Amino acid sequence: MPEFLSWLVEPLTYSFMQRSLLAAVLVGIVCALVGTYIVLRGMAFFGDALAHAILPGVAAGYLVGGGTYLTVFWWALGAAVLASLGIGAVSRGTRLREDTAIGIIFAGTFALGIAMISSIRSYAVDLSHFLFGNVLGVSNSDLLLTAGFGLLVIVVIVAFYKEFMVLSFDPVLAATLRLPRRWLENLLLVLIAIAIVVALQTVGVALMVAMLVTPAATAFLLTKRLPRMMTLAALIAALSGIIGLYLSFYIGIASGAAIVLTCTAIFLLVWLGQTLKTNSQN
Amino acid sequence: MDFRKIGLMIFGFAAFLLSACAAQDEPSWKIGVVATTNIVGDVVAQIGGEHVELTVMLPVDADPHSFQPTPQDLVAVENADIVFVNGLDLEEFLAEMVENVGGEDNIVSVSEEVATIEFSGGHDDHEEGEEHDDHEEGEEHEEHEHSGADPHVWMDPNNVKIWTDNIATALSTSDPDNAATYVANAEAYNLELDELDEWAQSELAQLASENRVLVTDHEALGYFAEHYGFEIIGTILPGSSTLAEPSASELAALEDLVVDFGVPAIFVGTTVNPNLAQRVADDTGVQLVPLYTGSLSDADGPAATYLEMMRYNVGAIVEALQ
Repeated sequence: MPEFLSWLVEPLTYSFMQRSLLAAVLVGIVCALVGTYIVLRGMAFFGDALAHAILPGVAAGYLVGGGTYLTVFWWALGAAVLASLGIGAVSRGTRLREDTAIGIIFAGTFALGIAMISSIRSYAVDLSHFLFGNVLGVSNSDLLLTAGFGLLVIVVIVAFYKEFMVLSFDPVLAATLRLPRRWLENLLLVLIAIAIVVALQTVGVALMVAMLVTPAATAFLLTKRLPRMMTLAALIAALSGIIGLYLSFYIGIASGAAIVLTCTAIFLLVWLGQTLKTNSQN
Repeated sequence: MDFRKIGLMIFGFAAFLLSACAAQDEPSWKIGVVATTNIVGDVVAQIGGEHVELTVMLPVDADPHSFQPTPQDLVAVENADIVFVNGLDLEEFLAEMVENVGGEDNIVSVSEEVATIEFSGGHDDHEEGEEHDDHEEGEEHEEHEHSGADPHVWMDPNNVKIWTDNIATALSTSDPDNAATYVANAEAYNLELDELDEWAQSELAQLASENRVLVTDHEALGYFAEHYGFEIIGTILPGSSTLAEPSASELAALEDLVVDFGVPAIFVGTTVNPNLAQRVADDTGVQLVPLYTGSLSDADGPAATYLEMMRYNVGAIVEALQ
């Protein structure tokens, strides 16, 4: 047993691993909570699109702020909000369905981001850095910001828990209660945007949708009750972050990919377990 | 009928213009030269002087590993008489670019004939050099066999002397009238390189042998270490290119090495994202020292030419490891 214990403790002797683990757990929880609504409302494509749509904001943030995380954060957030409003405007203003509108805005903003980055030509804004992130490079101040904004998301979700629930499960009741639907939906979009920007450094743009969707989807298989689903999703995400980083430490694979692969493996295991259970019951 | 006359007049006028241009351009004709990295560009400028019209492709602080040429760059390459590249797969965009502009007739790898060293351990550079010579004839098939060679040859001034010879030869072939100038410029520059080498040797002699250890961002200092007797004990990014990311285990192993060896500094090139190196430096309590390895500095910076760049680097290394 002590061998196993030292196996567990060894990565923790490195402070970059401590920071990475904390960041992965924090980001995992925030994304999973927001992700619960994404899964319930069928917004996975929207989430993926929003993750890509922040790229021009990130590039602009680097240009303006010279690489300070906070500047990048605000610009990315601005880009995300603009993109989500743009998607709404296109789908409302034309006969096009929402997924088509998402496709147009998402590819357009992503292309704008790539164009901006290609004009800068410096290491600070190389594309792969944003596409795949690097949780191992998280600094103490990054961690503080992540924690701060993560906490903000959690507080808002708790505060508007009932409203979001009614909105997601019972649109008729929401109308009867005269909930400010448009306002709440926009608030949810902003929360998704914050979660995405917070997760940018951990998994990057390309794998973001997995953090948003996979843990929440796994929890959805396990329970039908919203509070339990949220707790389970947060637990699964936190666990995936820890297991993924240990995998990265001991097997030597890229950390973001390791975290996402762990999420996926847990989903597959749960699905398999569910299938076996239903089959044995029949 | 009138159209024919007009056509004839236009033709005649165009022919007159063309001949006039040609006649006018004759005395001030320059070789059109493109250089990929600004380090190669600086050496080309030293040898070509006012006889070449030089376009340098990579801007200051751009990373040669990840650089992507713009359409204008391709136009410049297409129109150039000679394109000087570092070679040895430093410019990862090169193969695609050559394909784009159709053929590699005008591309000259300045590192041709340099005795290359391999990455990861193998310091048998002598053998490697001979092998290189053997393959000289079958140039088309070389690319794969040399994928393991370290492309950062310029970190040893003696290799840059080979560059100057290659550049002088290529310029003389394209512009035989000025061949004597190119050869003379190359000889003069080689003397400066010898001087630089001697100065570096004497500066670095201040460092005790136990302090001659380097931790760098990526494997950019292989030739420097080989020539001046340093050991590279670790790199932040695994391997030869800046395009690879380390895993958690690799980063942990590096921090162990830094602590075990008591390395006082980590050296980062100006073309590489210092984020990870900064974290390792913070964690292990060592200094982060910037070096110019992949790019020169601005004209008013401390490393505006190759010679200044090397002097700056040697100075920074001596100061950090003393």
